[in-house]
Amino acid sequence: MSVTYKKTIPVLIVFITAILVMADYFIILPPVTEAGASWTSNTVKMLQNWGIILTAFSLGFGAFNLFLFHSKHISRRTKDQWLFSLWLLIVIALFTVIGVFLGPTSDQYNWIYNASYFALSATVYSSLGFYMTSGVYRALRIKNVESGIFLVVGLIVLAKNAPALTVYFPILDTTVAFIRDVLTTSAQRGIMIGGSLGALSLGIRTMTGRETGFLGRLTEEEKGGPMQ
Amino acid sequence: MSEGKTIIERLEDIPREILYAILLIVFVIPLVRPLGLPVPISPNVRTWYETIDSLPPGSVVMVDFGYSGGGEPELGPMAVAVYHHIFRKGDIKVITMSTSIEGPQLWDKAIAEVRPEQRWGAEYGVDYIHIGYIAGTETAMAAIGKDLRATTSTDYRGTPLDQYPIMDDIVDANDFDLLLCYTTGGDQSEGWVRQWQTVYGTRYMCSVLAMMVPTMLPYQNAGQIISVTSGAQAGEMEGLVGIPARGIKSADVITLTHLLLIGYVLIGNIAALIHRGQGGGK
Repeated sequence: MSVTYKKTIPVLIVFITAILVMADYFIILPPVTEAGASWTSNTVKMLQNWGIILTAFSLGFGAFNLFLFHSKHISRRTKDQWLFSLWLLIVIALFTVIGVFLGPTSDQYNWIYNASYFALSATVYSSLGFYMTSGVYRALRIKNVESGIFLVVGLIVLAKNAPALTVYFPILDTTVAFIRDVLTTSAQRGIMIGGSLGALSLGIRTMTGRETGFLGRLTEEEKGGPMQ
Repeated sequence: MSEGKTIIERLEDIPREILYAILLIVFVIPLVRPLGLPVPISPNVRTWYETIDSLPPGSVVMVDFGYSGGGEPELGPMAVAVYHHIFRKGDIKVITMSTSIEGPQLWDKAIAEVRPEQRWGAEYGVDYIHIGYIAGTETAMAAIGKDLRATTSTDYRGTPLDQYPIMDDIVDANDFDLLLCYTTGGDQSEGWVRQWQTVYGTRYMCSVLAMMVPTMLPYQNAGQIISVTSGAQAGEMEGLVGIPARGIKSADVITLTHLLLIGYVLIGNIAALIHRGQGGGK
């Protein structure tokens, strides 16, 4: 396929879409509709709904892809894998059949969700508490000044998060408020601003065709030659 | 193995099986026999409560059930306590959507706990509704904010929205007085700031996993979120609402396990310092 089909047209679509959505977010472009919205409003509304449909489609497509991937393991009897793949497909089929024929809000669907997936996911997530306990015991050790500061701050925050302790030691509230509102917030703001600048830069590169990862595999020529 | 090790060396390196076993015992005791330890009300939880309490009659609240099954034990009790508060107050419309695919199931679970019809005389479709899972996270938030019916025309059971009186006059984000979000994902909790609070000025509060609170604080301190709470504070909300449930039980567990953790850290450090003082250790 030519560079036009593989790169130019997709980048142009991305550029126009991005400009429209951004313009609608930041400014009201004349001519203004009766509702006082920009003329881009209806177009962006349509684009957003396309986005929702595409996301929903990708969920179904992902399940289909999973089915194909694990079917291969079953047909090849991959060692230490195929039985798990078979079990996965049985579970997918069970959820799909009940969801499609009885509805995802039916009592039957809710029962299998609550009795299987919900119970398992809550258990797995909760078990992190055990790993974290062991991790805290081993990692929070004074080895130098930095780890000492880390330890002290960690202990203060741990103590504050134990609800009953703040009743007996009200100073924990003010100390943690300082750590949270001054130290954490300022550091977090720095991280967020840095991340946002990175996202902005990535967005501009994608819009202008300098970032081609979303286009799949391209040759150097299709990418527009090696970057200098 | 631990043969030939001194007590100090053993305390410095307690096997994880023992750490886990003690944690499990400390965890189970308050669940079996609640201790009734005091639960102070944090300023953020009080702000959240007062914000809902000050809503004028006829207000419309959008709720996002954006958490997954793994986060339910933490966020579920908070959502239930807040629903109790809203329904008890009365004359407030609650429209719920889900940005998490598991949201509708978890919402059913929460509503089964709240029992709005039996307990508060609320009616589905009149006082509250669930408009279902809407894929796309931030795109979904933006689309719902722009035109709710263009994004979804039915509730989560597939019944057309026009059949429900609660949906009368609901067009876009401007028709909502408050936005609440319970979530296990940063995309959701931060997305609502970008797609609703910034664009429409919607008043917004969120309840997230305790570990996510630091990432949300800059928004609260900038005034974009009225109050950020963690699901672990559900006991405080239940105390304010006056309906003790799972959250209060968890508060005892949280206090005891945190104390145990502090004990572990102190034991490990004291043992390491003594060991180092004796010329051993790293």
